[in-house]
This record gives sequence, structure tokens and C-alpha cells, in this order.
Amino acid sequence: MSADSAAVEAPSGASQSPAPKSGGLSTKAKVFIGLGAYFGVAILLFLIFGSDGKNEEFQPQNEFKLEPWITLELGGIDFSINKAVLYLLLASGLTIGTMLWIAKRMQQKPNRVQVAIEVAYDMTKNTIAGGSLDTKMARKWFPFLAALFFWIWFSNMIGFLPLPTNTEHAINIFGVEVPSFAIYAATANLSIPLVLTLVVWISYHVEGVRAKGFFKYLASWLPPGLEDMNPGAKAFIFVIEAVSHVARLISLSVRLFANILAGHLLLLFMGGGLAVLLGIAALGALTFPLAFFFFILEVGLIATLQAFIFSTLTAIYLGGATSASH
Amino acid sequence: MDLSPVVAAISDEGIESAGKAIALGVGAGLGSIGAGIGIGIIFGKEIESVARQPEMKDELQSIRWLGFALTEAVAFYTFIFGLIAFFL
Repeated sequence: MSADSAAVEAPSGASQSPAPKSGGLSTKAKVFIGLGAYFGVAILLFLIFGSDGKNEEFQPQNEFKLEPWITLELGGIDFSINKAVLYLLLASGLTIGTMLWIAKRMQQKPNRVQVAIEVAYDMTKNTIAGGSLDTKMARKWFPFLAALFFWIWFSNMIGFLPLPTNTEHAINIFGVEVPSFAIYAATANLSIPLVLTLVVWISYHVEGVRAKGFFKYLASWLPPGLEDMNPGAKAFIFVIEAVSHVARLISLSVRLFANILAGHLLLLFMGGGLAVLLGIAALGALTFPLAFFFFILEVGLIATLQAFIFSTLTAIYLGGATSASH
Repeated sequence: MDLSPVVAAISDEGIESAGKAIALGVGAGLGSIGAGIGIGIIFGKEIESVARQPEMKDELQSIRWLGFALTEAVAFYTFIFGLIAFFL
């Protein structure tokens, strides 16, 4: 840079971005006006409505409470039909329905839905199953991995559609008691990811034992390169590896559960829950735009990403249990 | 300094709810710091690698999302455990 251009830049730096923008305002001024209006509305609302004090009646955890609709009890175990069961059946029905519908109407010139499904199918086949498993295992386990991916995806996605499931707060519309609309997802309940994880956990151990034999499989838990280590230290590392296998049960299930639950809680609090809980109506003006942002983030990224991660990790675990090198 | 009136004013319930609030704040807040740093590192390194080898972009993309989700989940673990402490 020559001295000339530096001399030109110096005064422009002093006057703080003089570039003329449409409307005669610089970007900085627009940002400040926008932020000012955003907080100004909230402060104005606070001055008008003030604070009603903390709301003790509203219990946010009740949004995730499962109310039995049809009580069923078999041998002391609760089999009641509740909204989690409804979401479970909805997700399963959607997965089976979409796949069968597309499979029946396969066309040479695909329409948009078929293209989308084909892209997803390709991804589950090549990236998830093909990426971490050898060809034979990928062929064997692809249906399971794809079903896992699509089921979790549908389950997460319908979790963001408001459905009339909240029977605790029924609204009376022309004499008909309609449950209020609420969002909930089957995967926002720990039991369902935990069952999926148990299936995955047991099947990768079974695959490992079948591929290598019981004792060789246990020995393969040890990382390579420990051949000339003394047995005591080997046993210690084996215990650590065994703990890490048990920890997979927790990490795989809690990852999915926590992501979806936290997403739903954020939407609940940002979409008005926080304002109701604290009794400050003005807070709603601040949090409501954030609710849109989080909704887009959850629907656009987290729902798909978590389904992808769950099935990818399943494939990685299966691959790790059966691969010869490890 | 006589602290006995202050001590007498502290109720068990107040201590309990304060502890719960601290658990949620510290759990969610400190947990987010670690996950935030982790996500920053993942995306930074990915940008670096793609800038160095643009032909690796597709392969890196799936690895990046895997790393992102694994790291992001850590923030949610702390958040959930904070919520469990707060509401139970």
C-alpha cells in the first residue's frame, strides 16, 4: 500500500464509514436503529404493563408430562396410551407410508418428493452405511440404519408441528372440548431414544461376537499396540474400555433426547413461556423474535442432524465391533 | 459484626431454591463455554482444511457435522442436568 492511499484512508477512518447507503443511513446506523427499536418496544411495554410478579401456577415441566388417555396396565407395568405413543405411531406410520408410497410410484422422470427421498436414500446408503462399514456389513445393516434415520427424522420433524395433544388445557370451541395445540416429540422422552440405543448396543455386541468369537471380541476392545504390556496394566485398560462401552448407552440416548428436549424447551420459553413464568409481559417482545430463529435452527438443522448422527454412530459402532484391524 | 439476624432470616427453602438456580446457571453457562470453544475449533479447522485442499470439501462436510453434533451435545448434557437439578 502506498503512502498516498494511506493518506486518503485516514480522514475516511475518522468520519466512520461515510459510504452513502440507500436512505442516507449507513449500515451501522441501521443496526443501531433496529436494536434500539427492538429494546425500545420491550422497555415501553415494561413501562406500560410492569411486572405481575412470579407466576407460581405455570409449571413448564407439565408441558412434557404424559397424561394417560387410555389406561392400560399389564402385570404392574404401565402401558397407557398417551401423547408419546401417539407421536410414536405417527412417526412409524409416516415412515412406512412415505416409503411405500414412493416405492409404488417410482417414475423414470422423478417428481420433487421422489428426488428428495432418493437423495436421502443415497445419503443413508453411501454416507452412513457405506462410510463406516465394509460392503458385506453395509448391505446387511443398511435397512436397519436407513429405518433408524428416517424414523428419527420423521419423529423429530412432526415434533415441530403443533398438534392438538395437550389434554390438560382443553379449549371449548362451540361446545366441543378441543385439546390445546402443543408441540412434543417422541424423541423428547428419554425412554424412546434409550430403547433405540439398547437395540443398537445389543446388536453391535452380537455382531462383534459373531464376527470374532466371544473372547477374541473382548480382546479386540483393547486398542492396538499393547502387545508387550504387562497383564495388570492391560486389565486396567480393559476396564476403562468396558466403561466406555457402557457410557455409549448413555451418550447415544441422551444426545438425541437432550437435543430435542432442549430445543422444545427453548421454543417454549422463547415463545412466551418465560414471560408468563416471570410475569413480565415485556419480556415476550424480546424473546419472541428469538423463537423464530430457534425454530428455523431446530427444523432446518438439529432435527436432521440428530437423525444423521444417531445412525452414523450406529454404523461406526457396528464397524468398530466387526472390523479386523482393531 | 453480629450476623445472627441475617443467619436467622435465611430459610431452608430459600437456600434450596438459590442452590437450584445456581445449579442451572452454572451448569448451562459453563457447559456452553466448552461447547462453544469446541464448535469454533471444528468450523475453524474445517475452513482451514477446505482452503488448503478444496477437493476434500465433500468428505470433510460429513465429518464436520459429526464433530459439530458430538460437541454441541455436550452443551445440552449440562443444560439437561441443570434443568433436572432445577425442577426435581
